[in-house]
Amino acid sequence: MSESRLDPVLLEVFWNRLVSIVEEQARALMRTSFTSVVREAGDLSAGLFDQRGRMVAQAVTGTPGHVNAMATSVHHFLREVPAETLEEGDVLITNHPWQTSGHLNDFTVLTPIFHGGSVVAYFGNCCHALDVGGRGLGADARQVYEEGLLVPVTRLFVRGEPNEELFRLVRANVRAPFEVVGDLYAQAGSNDVGGARLVEMIEEFDLGNIESLSDEVRTRSERAMREAIEGLPDGVYENEAYTDGFDEPIRLCVSIRVEGDEMVVDYEGSSPQSERGINVVLNYTAAYTTFGVKCAISPDVPNNNGSFKPIRVTAPEGSILNALHPAPVGARHIVGHFLPSVIHGALAKVVPDKVLAQGADSLWNTQITGERDRPFTYVFFSGGGMGARKEGDGLSATAFPSGIRGVPAEVIESISPIVMHRRELRPDSEGPGRRRGGFGQEMEIGVRSQAPWVLSAMYDRTRWPAQGIQGGSPGGAGAVRTADGRELHPKRQQPMQAGERAVLSLPGGGGYGEPSEREPDLVARDVGDGLVSVERAREVYGVVLKSGEEPGSCVPDPEATASLRAASRPEERS
Amino acid sequence: MYAGKHHRVGIDIGGTFTDLVLIDDETGRRAVGKVLTTPEDPSEAVENGLLELLGRERVEAGQVGTIVHGTTLVTNALIERRGATTALLTTQGFRDALAIGTEHRYDMYDVFIEKPEPLVPRSLRYGVHERSLDDGSIMLELDEDQVRSIVTELRERNVRAVAVSFLHSFRNPAHEQRVGEILAEEAPEISVSLSSEVAPEIREYERTSTTVANVYTKPLVEGYLRSLEERLRQLGFVGSLYIMLSNGGTASVETACRFPVRLLESGPAAGALAAAFYGRATDFPEVLSFDVGGTTAKACLIEDGEPLKSNEFEVARVYRFKKGSGLPVKVSVIEMIEIGAGGGSIANIGPLGLPKVGPRSAGSDPGPACYGRGGEEPTVTDADLILGYLDPDFFLGGKMQLDRDAALRALEKISRPLDLDRVEAAWGIHQVVNENMANAARVHAVERGKDPRAYPLFAFGGAGPVHGYRVARALGVPGFIVPLGAGATSAFGFLCAPLSFDFMRSLFGRLNDLDWSDANAALREMEQEGRGLLRASGVADEDVWVRRLCEMRYVGQGHEVTVELPDGFLGPDDAAPLTNRYRKEYERLYGREGPDVPLETITWRLEVSSSRPEIRLDREESTTGEPGEAIKGDREIYLPEEGDFATVPVYDRYRLGFGAAFDGPAVLEERESTVVLGPDSQAEIDGARNLVVRWPE
Repeated sequence: MSESRLDPVLLEVFWNRLVSIVEEQARALMRTSFTSVVREAGDLSAGLFDQRGRMVAQAVTGTPGHVNAMATSVHHFLREVPAETLEEGDVLITNHPWQTSGHLNDFTVLTPIFHGGSVVAYFGNCCHALDVGGRGLGADARQVYEEGLLVPVTRLFVRGEPNEELFRLVRANVRAPFEVVGDLYAQAGSNDVGGARLVEMIEEFDLGNIESLSDEVRTRSERAMREAIEGLPDGVYENEAYTDGFDEPIRLCVSIRVEGDEMVVDYEGSSPQSERGINVVLNYTAAYTTFGVKCAISPDVPNNNGSFKPIRVTAPEGSILNALHPAPVGARHIVGHFLPSVIHGALAKVVPDKVLAQGADSLWNTQITGERDRPFTYVFFSGGGMGARKEGDGLSATAFPSGIRGVPAEVIESISPIVMHRRELRPDSEGPGRRRGGFGQEMEIGVRSQAPWVLSAMYDRTRWPAQGIQGGSPGGAGAVRTADGRELHPKRQQPMQAGERAVLSLPGGGGYGEPSEREPDLVARDVGDGLVSVERAREVYGVVLKSGEEPGSCVPDPEATASLRAASRPEERS
Repeated sequence: MYAGKHHRVGIDIGGTFTDLVLIDDETGRRAVGKVLTTPEDPSEAVENGLLELLGRERVEAGQVGTIVHGTTLVTNALIERRGATTALLTTQGFRDALAIGTEHRYDMYDVFIEKPEPLVPRSLRYGVHERSLDDGSIMLELDEDQVRSIVTELRERNVRAVAVSFLHSFRNPAHEQRVGEILAEEAPEISVSLSSEVAPEIREYERTSTTVANVYTKPLVEGYLRSLEERLRQLGFVGSLYIMLSNGGTASVETACRFPVRLLESGPAAGALAAAFYGRATDFPEVLSFDVGGTTAKACLIEDGEPLKSNEFEVARVYRFKKGSGLPVKVSVIEMIEIGAGGGSIANIGPLGLPKVGPRSAGSDPGPACYGRGGEEPTVTDADLILGYLDPDFFLGGKMQLDRDAALRALEKISRPLDLDRVEAAWGIHQVVNENMANAARVHAVERGKDPRAYPLFAFGGAGPVHGYRVARALGVPGFIVPLGAGATSAFGFLCAPLSFDFMRSLFGRLNDLDWSDANAALREMEQEGRGLLRASGVADEDVWVRRLCEMRYVGQGHEVTVELPDGFLGPDDAAPLTNRYRKEYERLYGREGPDVPLETITWRLEVSSSRPEIRLDREESTTGEPGEAIKGDREIYLPEEGDFATVPVYDRYRLGFGAAFDGPAVLEERESTVVLGPDSQAEIDGARNLVVRWPE
């Protein structure tokens, strides 16, 4: 396309307007959703697409996996239902894992926006459904058919009227019909909000459509992304990492080839697809790959169809990162969430200042089903520690790459019979380093009921802790057991006795740089906070402490620390 | 009401200046004072300013009936972490709620973000053996012996303040109250705040954060307000001292000392009140208040002569002003949107090669390049100067000379990469920042289901009047209003504030089978408490206004919508009309009818207030209705309609009196601000000496 004649000031004005429109679209969905992971945790995405279905702008929400995947899904929608067959008031829906965000629990809803009798744009959003039938959210299935209801691209509303047959089908298939259907309405409403604002904008500036605006924004984004890639030296950067897998460990191999202003990210060498529902579709692999690259080299460039272009993502068919239908995919995030840190590990060789050590990476998703007066199901997500950065400690109990929020214990308890008996930072779980990893958290959970209940665990890094970089040490591995000490499986649905409690110990993040280079005052502060033990301070960080002036406080002993650190140094080198 | 004491004074302590406004209620005479803020002991500037102002106006301190005071003390103490050594007593197992927060990365792509350090270090966060459940039932009784041993330790550790925040205490405050009693017995010297009193609402992190912020600043605020009272008494002041609150009301010194966290953002709140006052005084009961200072712009909708209120706020952001990087505080605040776009905001080129403005600000030191204090980055003020909108010789009434060459040099940082000339670059910055402000205002309005195009823009603050005309046009609003003394509007707003108190109770239940006697009892209690407080402040019962609200939601949804309650006793017959009201409000907010689902009530609120103080506005003798007589010169300003500079008249704002009417383009100058009007403006001075600007449809 030719360099458009939109002047830069006007373009900035329009662009800001589009961003505020998609933010508004997302906020409307959060406010009207019936699912706490959507409204409290922010497990949703929202975006604007041009006439040709290319993503122009997206709201900054909790889930990169959704957003970047939605960018491709719109093309599937338009292939199934060509634009010329759409009428005003039509709303489309699908949860096809291979076409959207990789598992059945995410419904994507797309609304064509009409102006002057024809489609000028599409608003799409994707959010987590509380239930889609089948076995319930988890990794246990052996085929996608067991994981619930698949809705192929279909009209959810036809010329403004609800497609009652589809709604009946959904209600009949899910465990929480009321919330699930309520959310579908909320999703359609959110797109309406975006559409109304866009039409106002088109009229205000007499734009006719947003095609040239879209071209301009995407072209500029693409150019900025190319410049960022060009800033990296040409070459091939490799890394590999392991995750727990369902029963067997999974190997993730990446090779990033940088050539001029383009990048190919290939996952050749990664494990074959799993028997269980932790498989990742290529769409989702691509989503977290571009996210990981962007965080490291171009955090300020907007996410759209243009900025994705210079990055190609490939993975062997039938591998864990390009699983083929009908592989089970329910807990795909458990593997997908590791990709950014695998990528950061590879890029650490060229941009060590801009990357993170490994963190807990995968969200810990807990679904609990049981009965008190009536059956209930409740799901919540939690984050472990983040990896350390060159100039900063890793953030504790903070999810990365997912950007969801935790749900307050008071909210969990007020809408379910779950009781959170404890939720605290987990001492000694940080990966030591000059900058330490973030601490994981520990939760103790029970159910107020006389009946047994089921814990559906979707946890990782129980056997493969988060690795440090640049000399940093690994964080603490995760663990899950009952309060009485019985080991639980990190990835199964498992029965729990009435009154029994589960203790989740979430992993800590990896460290950055040598632990022996950490400022002794910072070590003393963590010890004073009860987060690092005195022994660990001495053995791992080489810091000797003595009591401070305040009762119960401690400060570094400079001489003892210096001689301990000096003594341990040659040993390390030999 | 104030025999012989017919003067009132508003005092606004800001970062740089302490502004004072004096009103004579008998004559309507207004006078403004401005002195440098004294950060060491802010009450010193109050005394200096008051002496200077009263002396100049020949008023005795004994003739002042009321002083309304607003301060940024609480905000600053939280930003600078200057509060008391504070401990937290919380439910065993939850002492890290403050550190874990929302587990949220508030920026998706920036891996270098930081989170605010909790105000209470982990070693001072104590888990107490006790536990209530969501229905208010007790799962574990309070271990009083443990509490007593913790209190002993607190004294050893020289703790001055204690926050008590237990899970579900908003449903059952018994354990918190008991701990409060034990603390009062064993350590009366320690300040205490209970979460069930400060912010009785669900969500442990936000409630605890609010309670901690409250008690952390309490010793400081108590010390300051007592010293201020003392100083005023020594000056001979025998009237009432009230403190401006974040919700736009005022309170006694006693209440302010109990709930210092309610003093946050009282300056901006007062600005919105002033906008509401002028709006009512000039037949614009609905305006969009638009306050632009050095670093930020704030927009706030005024409906039916009242600003909207909200219950969520964030203070002391630690990372690039980003939302999510501050401490959450649940207090009733005037609902406004604030963005990093003010006179000092810095322009740069963004990653897409497009011009961006803010949120980084040059502040007051070094300030914009044209201040000539070493600033090299191009700011909004530099652009405004080059466009001719500001007069280099009449900035702050001529107190400060602006450097055009420095501004031009700075603008090259934008003009070169964009291949523009420097005037085009300046106009680009002006336009981008206007659009940022307009977008923010639009989002603010639209999120509340309002159409921003229906509200005239009421502009004030140092930079509001320069940008107001173009922002108003970008928003498509029907007019633009600027008050006299636009640079000191907030201090004036203090005098518009009624005495008021807010209360809330959490009371859950489905609307269709609610225990209405509980609801009535809660409302009655809150009303009695409120009336008692007002009576104690000298307000007659017949002058008390009561407003009752209930936050409800569809069962299963997570966000509440507020509905106003009818007067009198409530009962089952009210369920249907309330449901209707809710559904209407919901549809207005979200565009679609809500689902057919029962409603549940969450929080019941009650506000009591005195009548609004009456303010007479005088018509001064020295003004003229003949605009020609007020012209003090002319100058060239950039007019995009012409694509070039054009010569326009410059009016002396102080000389323009009631009825003066003239057309744009024009510039109006007063000491602390400048108004710029575009070509199709039709301007008029109204009875309150506001500048009212309209344009053809």
